[in-house]
Amino acid sequence: MPEDLADDLELHRRLGGRDVTAFDELFRRYGAAAHGLALRVTGQELLAQEVVQDAFLALWRAPEAYDPSRGPFRTFFLSLVHHRAVDTVRREERLRKRTERALNPEDVYGEDVAEGVVAEAYLGQRRLEVRAALSTLPVDQRKVLEMAYFGGATQAQISAELGIPIGTVKTRTLAAMRKLRRALYRED
Amino acid sequence: MADNHEWIEELLAGYVLRSLSGEDAVVADRLLSEHVPSCPMCRDTLAAFQGVAGEVALAPAPVPPPDLLLPRMHELLAEPSGRRRRRPMSLWAAAASVVALVGLAGWNVSLGFRANHAESQSSTFLRALDAAARPNSETVPLNPSESAGAGSMQEIRAPGVEPIYLVGRDIPEPGAGRVYQVWLGSAGRYKPVGTFFPEENVTVLELHNVNPSVYDEILITEEPAGTTPTQPSPATRWQASLTAG
Repeated sequence: MPEDLADDLELHRRLGGRDVTAFDELFRRYGAAAHGLALRVTGQELLAQEVVQDAFLALWRAPEAYDPSRGPFRTFFLSLVHHRAVDTVRREERLRKRTERALNPEDVYGEDVAEGVVAEAYLGQRRLEVRAALSTLPVDQRKVLEMAYFGGATQAQISAELGIPIGTVKTRTLAAMRKLRRALYRED
Repeated sequence: MADNHEWIEELLAGYVLRSLSGEDAVVADRLLSEHVPSCPMCRDTLAAFQGVAGEVALAPAPVPPPDLLLPRMHELLAEPSGRRRRRPMSLWAAAASVVALVGLAGWNVSLGFRANHAESQSSTFLRALDAAARPNSETVPLNPSESAGAGSMQEIRAPGVEPIYLVGRDIPEPGAGRVYQVWLGSAGRYKPVGTFFPEENVTVLELHNVNPSVYDEILITEEPAGTTPTQPSPATRWQASLTAG
């Protein structure tokens, strides 16, 4: 197991003992990724901070929610951030603006303002792999995936927005997820 | 149903992206409780898709959170989970929480809603503060109804300042699927001018093109989101008279 993943597990284990230094270290590792994701999905700084705060506090209050047997801590935690960000977007009922932004793939990745930050170097390589995998998706599949993931849109909303049957949205979504699965877990 | 794994995979893909709605969401929930736990293939698919969803989270550019966020979280670590969430709060954060109602046309008020970017939100907040600080400005509390609950709403007007500002503090969230609706009233007839969803600490509404010689009342009600009401519902939250200054 890579050292970083092992470290994550140890930090997570220490959360169960209410170890604030472990909490701080996880924040140092994943704060920028979580904030970047939340900012991307919500489009608003204050909402993004709220999402990040809620996700870290949820982790602190219920660390047992993460089951190490089900995958790396990183994917669990960033999924938690994503879920909260999407829920926040829907609560705010401002989906349309964000969906439009999700249609612009240039916005998705942006400039790595935290590149070079020590904590981010930890995730940098995987980020490159994820972006490379996303870039291999056919445009129509990638658009559907990004509208759902970064725009917080439901499949019904995507269908209406793109003027395509919802069955096509589902088919493209599944095709995209399968391709990403193969690309990202090829060597696992 | 459980034999059609292509169809189930479609649902699982949508599920991990949180993009299901309606009947699909109901069916997926049922599958997750009744079929997936006992199907090794579906368990593997779900775990893999959840992993993919977690990895895609890395795609956006990382953005270091504000330096104050971690200390603020430290203050909350000891709180029980049931306690109401507090948003990060500072002058700058409060400024960023501004919600603006922006006038679109004419004295016969037609106002729309938009959430500005943080920079212009901050500007709106500062404009409200500037108006309140001007000589002879008026700060009038809106009268809460019995159902208004916690929070307060104040109207700020200043000579020479065209917009009227409504500043809410600790306004409770409206009920599920509902928003706050701002109305302008004249002789018992009301015109909807915009909706807002409150920030937890400070919410600032900027009302343009409000002619006090035409309208004599500001009303805030709670209405179903996504609708265009023609009459205020009885769920009035705050009310104030508008007088020509």
